[in-house]
Amino acid sequence: MRLAPGAVAEVDLSRVDLFDLDLYTSGDPHPIWDVMRTEAPLHHQVLPDGREFWSVTRYDDVCRVLGEHRDFTSERGTVVTHLGVDDVAAGRLLTSTDPPRHTQVRRAIGTALTARVMAPWEDRIRRAIVHFLEPALDGGTFDLAERALRLPAVVTGPLLGIPERDWDDLVQLTAMVTAPSDPHFHHGSDAATLAIAHHELVTYVTDWVARRRAGGGGGDGSLLDHLMRVRLNGSPLTDEEIALDGYSILLGANVTTPHTVSGTVLALVERAEQFAKVQADPSLIPNLVEEGLRWTSPACNFMRYAVDDVRIGGGTVPAGGAVVAWIGSANRDESQFPDPHEFDVTRNAKGHVAFGFGPHYCIGAPLARLTLRVFFSELLRQFGSIELDGEPQHLRSYFIAGMTHLPVVARRRTTP
Amino acid sequence: MESSPRVRRREDRGEVSDSPEPAGAPAALVREVSGLWAEYLGGREIAADDDFFALGGNSLIGIKIIDRMARDYGVELSVRGFYLAQTPARVAELIEQGRTRQ
Repeated sequence: MRLAPGAVAEVDLSRVDLFDLDLYTSGDPHPIWDVMRTEAPLHHQVLPDGREFWSVTRYDDVCRVLGEHRDFTSERGTVVTHLGVDDVAAGRLLTSTDPPRHTQVRRAIGTALTARVMAPWEDRIRRAIVHFLEPALDGGTFDLAERALRLPAVVTGPLLGIPERDWDDLVQLTAMVTAPSDPHFHHGSDAATLAIAHHELVTYVTDWVARRRAGGGGGDGSLLDHLMRVRLNGSPLTDEEIALDGYSILLGANVTTPHTVSGTVLALVERAEQFAKVQADPSLIPNLVEEGLRWTSPACNFMRYAVDDVRIGGGTVPAGGAVVAWIGSANRDESQFPDPHEFDVTRNAKGHVAFGFGPHYCIGAPLARLTLRVFFSELLRQFGSIELDGEPQHLRSYFIAGMTHLPVVARRRTTP
Repeated sequence: MESSPRVRRREDRGEVSDSPEPAGAPAALVREVSGLWAEYLGGREIAADDDFFALGGNSLIGIKIIDRMARDYGVELSVRGFYLAQTPARVAELIEQGRTRQ
């Protein structure tokens, strides 16, 4: 999807189709969300097959839907691709579990992912990123979006415990989960694409755990190893929980960060003054990262189901209704971010909800932030300029906002 | 969004036959596969060309069915092959092919 709204056309909210994949591939949802926030903060849509959902687009409402699990449960699924089909992994997959169980498991897993635990990985991440950027500096065309899909695997592979030979397969599988309709990732049908990817990812973790058990001996200190060692009131996670949460962590790591990388680079390419500003003052890099997260919002939405009739956004979601919280819209809510469609590296964007809000706030956020800070510090240190070398191509997905192609040409920085 | 797997599959395979039960799989085997699926898909009657996903199938059920077929028939089906085949008749054909190769 385009990240800056084009000319504002007339928007007829009664005819808006938020599941129209063309809207995200070649169109522009921002003008629609703008109108929804003002005129229909609770929006109802019925799909041609009869499934229906409610949408919230305002910042405060999005936070409420994501944060208040007593009103909006995660236990029937949280990903819009599965609207209307109850999550088969409910209560076992961490993202599809409500407190109190969620709180216990999340705390146990989260101890391996805090900023303090991540810090010693910085040098290793920097080396991986320098290596990643090297080919862009030989003057030829560099397809940043395509290559960035592999970046999280390069950076987090060792930390997760995944050997390099498996990265490309896993990157392909996680992309299939998030954009089953995109021609780059489609196999047969959307349902088959999703099933193949879920199946192979869950089996991958299951086999990893089985090999580790069979091998005996000590752990390798990786995150998957940590999942095997977690104890809740003295009991380990079940093998199924390890497989599902391992799958979820692979997914979360792989499919979001690349799009913040490419979308933020594109924003800088299109705004030479912003590029110059942050290059002149590297202390702005953490700010650039937060603004880039707000701007790109790669996890475009998450879904919850209303537990009872709930009043929100000036209307009522009936008990059992699916509610989609549009993160991409909340991050452009002008009550929270003045001039929301301006990309501004000096803005305080810290309140953005790109990582979600409340109990399910992204468990990998410290690692994502570290990766992005190192990425942009290396990019700005080494690159004097970046120019577009072709049309960006957008991901065919209403769940993940991102790009599949972003051809750029970079010049090495010559000034100190 | 709604795909037409039957049409696409036939194109993929270069077939022109409309037969729901391909010559490669004996009817008895197709019935066994249908019966086996029924155990994991709510116990209702399943026809030879019913669609796995339309029956409510998902990857966690697929994992169990593929494991079970490996035990029962000694054939390790490829994950992609299974989900793209999508019906008992086609899956029976894959089992038959796997047996022939052994």
